[in-house]
Amino acid sequence: MPPSLPFIRLVHRNLRKYRFKIGLSITIAILVLSLISQYIAPYPREGLGYVPVGEENRRLLHPSPQHLFGTDTLGRDLFSRVIMASRSAIIQAFSVVFLSLIIGLIVGVLAAYFKGLVELVLNYLTELFMAIPSIVIALFFRLTLEAGFHVVIISLVTTWWAWYARITYVYAKGVVELDYVVLAKLSGLSSAKIIMRHVVGVIIQPILVQAISDLGSALLEASGINFMGLGLPPGYPDWGVILYEGISEMGIMAFTRTPWLVFYPGLFILLTTLGFTLLADPLREDLDPRLRRRWKLWF
Amino acid sequence: MPVSLNYIFKRIILSILVVIGVIVFSYILLLYTPGDPAVKWAGNPRGPEARKAIEMARRELGLDQPIHVQIAQFIYHVFTGNLGLSIAYKVPVSQVITSGFTATLELLVFAYLLAVPLGLWLGIYSALRRGSRFDSFIQSLSVVLASMPTFWLGAIIALISYSTTGFLPYGRVSYKLAASTGFNPITGFYLLDALIQGNYAVFLDALLRIIPPALAISVYPIGVVARVSRTLVAEALLEDYVRTAVAWGVRRNTIIKHFVLKSIIPPVIQISGLAFVYSIVDAMVVESLVFGREGLGSILLDSLHKADFRVTIALAIYLTIFYILVNTIVDIIQASIDPRVKI
Repeated sequence: MPPSLPFIRLVHRNLRKYRFKIGLSITIAILVLSLISQYIAPYPREGLGYVPVGEENRRLLHPSPQHLFGTDTLGRDLFSRVIMASRSAIIQAFSVVFLSLIIGLIVGVLAAYFKGLVELVLNYLTELFMAIPSIVIALFFRLTLEAGFHVVIISLVTTWWAWYARITYVYAKGVVELDYVVLAKLSGLSSAKIIMRHVVGVIIQPILVQAISDLGSALLEASGINFMGLGLPPGYPDWGVILYEGISEMGIMAFTRTPWLVFYPGLFILLTTLGFTLLADPLREDLDPRLRRRWKLWF
Repeated sequence: MPVSLNYIFKRIILSILVVIGVIVFSYILLLYTPGDPAVKWAGNPRGPEARKAIEMARRELGLDQPIHVQIAQFIYHVFTGNLGLSIAYKVPVSQVITSGFTATLELLVFAYLLAVPLGLWLGIYSALRRGSRFDSFIQSLSVVLASMPTFWLGAIIALISYSTTGFLPYGRVSYKLAASTGFNPITGFYLLDALIQGNYAVFLDALLRIIPPALAISVYPIGVVARVSRTLVAEALLEDYVRTAVAWGVRRNTIIKHFVLKSIIPPVIQISGLAFVYSIVDAMVVESLVFGREGLGSILLDSLHKADFRVTIALAIYLTIFYILVNTIVDIIQASIDPRVKI
């Protein structure tokens, strides 16, 4: 019995695709890891950033059975740090995309539904926030607020919502002129109900798929901000921060003398992003008939 | 007349409005984020001179005036490039920013001169062989490459370069070499300067040092351009005019070069422009922390460490203006090539 919600149906339809399965497994693995990492990490306190006792003898150890990924510049077990950082990655990626999606959806639909001045103002705001690089917002917050998740999340959301507002606006614009929406208006249905049921309900699928594939970009951008040292405080278990510590404290020679410091956190970013992309791609193909078309060339 | 002046006019007006909005937004952030704006503008001064510095900052920002006057003044200062002296470098802020911009721009332009043609070629080639082994290989590779953090990729490239050739790409040019050959940067684009002065040793050195970071940065635009052009070409090949041309017996190469390529250029320009502005931040991260090049990234980090708030804010504002400028130019170019664009 196939489920009834269109989006769940869409996922259901794609479950047997190879790429989707890989993407789903990676995503679930990272999600599970983010939940259980603090229980399975061999050195959970070091994973959180505490410098161990007797660190002088433990600095920059090569990977070994005792320290699977080696140790970092302060003698902390890199394996514990890297797997415990999966939580911060999940928190950042999901909250950025979720918040941007909500704000963008509201702004985009309102701009398309209420024409005139509302449309003009909201579109101007969208254009304005699209034009600001998120690193700029991060800079402002870094100068004035304590380091932490809120810096990364707010600075990404400030610019990201505009993209969702734009795509929502484009999709919604095509729907609000359709006969059934006009008829719903004529029959006296309230604007809120029309928007929720007949506009958002119709256009939500491609936007959700976009959101899933954006989880990866959100993670990449958040890692970039953390890597610049603008977001989370030093020592926090986060892949960007770990890379920053690995590269900035060791200087350029980090890659040559202690490659594991750089290699493993980046590998985890890569895998997680890849998981989100593989998850979203089959869904996108399914929704977009142009990508599904069978190609037969004229020559 | 392929493009209406009306469209260009509207586009420019919108961009100016957005620029002004950004400046106002930055100013409001400056005023309403915690802390005294005058103290921030003066760069958190300490010691006996602090009071004087803060007084000066207060006067510079005009904090005793009504808010709209302050904002108007600030906008005026931004456009005249008069944002005061940098505390850390002791030179005008505009000079610091300009030197950073040329360095980062050199890297970016180099990367894009590499990336766009290559991406276009890959896209067209795989569209013509859709479903082949080459196509699926390029597809998978682009997905994996797009999932890599650019700075990580940069680090890997540096590692490979070091372990295979023993050459570590660090900085923009070897200063020892530059000093011994009397290299004298005029425009700030080192590659250009070295060529003009006929200083081939420095040119080669700068080239060797720019290629690794440029490779790391170009991965993203290569992927984007390849993906977009592949879809576009595959769609264009199904169009009626291609079938007609085939029926007329036009040669395959002519069809691709003259008909198909022409039709996909405008959207490729647009997507490259979008990718370009996105890559600026990428470049800032890669050049400063991974490859130790001077540029916007190093200025940003420096200004943060030294609490040089003026440079930070100026950087933020000019970066955004540059963003908008590139977008506007790309839109206008696209409109003048593609007659369908109308607002």
